[in-house]
Amino acid sequence: MRLTCPYCGSRDHQEFTYRGDATAVRPALNNTSIDDHNAYIFDRSNPDGVHQELWNHTSGCRTHLVVERNTVTHEVLSCKPVGPFARKLK
Amino acid sequence: MVDAPEKQSPLRDLAMPRQIGTEANVELTERLCDSLVQVQAWPNSVGKVEKILKTLKRCVTMPSGPGRWLIEGEEEGLEEGLRRELTDDLGAVTGLTHARVVISISGPRATRVLASGIALDFDESNFAVGSTQLAHHHEIGLTIHRLAEDQFDLYVFTSLSRSFWQWIEKASAEYGCRIV
Ligand SMILES: [Zn+2]
Repeated sequence: MRLTCPYCGSRDHQEFTYRGDATAVRPALNNTSIDDHNAYIFDRSNPDGVHQELWNHTSGCRTHLVVERNTVTHEVLSCKPVGPFARKLK
Repeated sequence: MVDAPEKQSPLRDLAMPRQIGTEANVELTERLCDSLVQVQAWPNSVGKVEKILKTLKRCVTMPSGPGRWLIEGEEEGLEEGLRRELTDDLGAVTGLTHARVVISISGPRATRVLASGIALDFDESNFAVGSTQLAHHHEIGLTIHRLAEDQFDLYVFTSLSRSFWQWIEKASAEYGCRIV
């Protein structure tokens, strides 16, 4: 599988580190519910089809990306930068 | 202020000058930087930092990420100078002089040797002379500066450089290699 980093270009996926589900939202700091934090850390829907994932280009420019990928066909639909420099990379 | 410790080769015996095979289609050299500095601008200060970096003399400035540069200077004191100019509101300056070793590779088979182990498109349409690419070889991160069609400077982590050298020497040996 290859991912197209908006800074470095098309690269082998081994240069990247998988950072988890990009749709998981961390509960608010003042949310003391154990269940909410448990769900944020452990509960994943594991869809067959299009999935949004966080990847980091660890062996390259170290930009975080949201990768839209089909978990059945491994087709990569988009790689979008996130983080403070995202606007400059689009 | 305590003087910086003297620079030491991490490769030592590995990079001893010698000839491997009868031909010399690849040439390998180790180089220790006089000064190597990383500069990271903040998202709102990239333009200002770029302007300051353009005024540097006798330096090679290599882009290494969004708002980030790796700068090799021919003179010691580059880090102190940049620290004075790049105040905290503009960015961060990190001294890497002792953290990287440069392995230079050149010769008619240099590109082929690199392409045999690094998953990067070395065609000049993707990797132009004078530009920099970030990549890795078996998890060892590399900053690759292309100086000519068949000449590259590889900035390698000092602590992993012996392992990387063992690969590049073996990969070069097949074409005939001179270590200088
Ligand atoms: Zn990248």
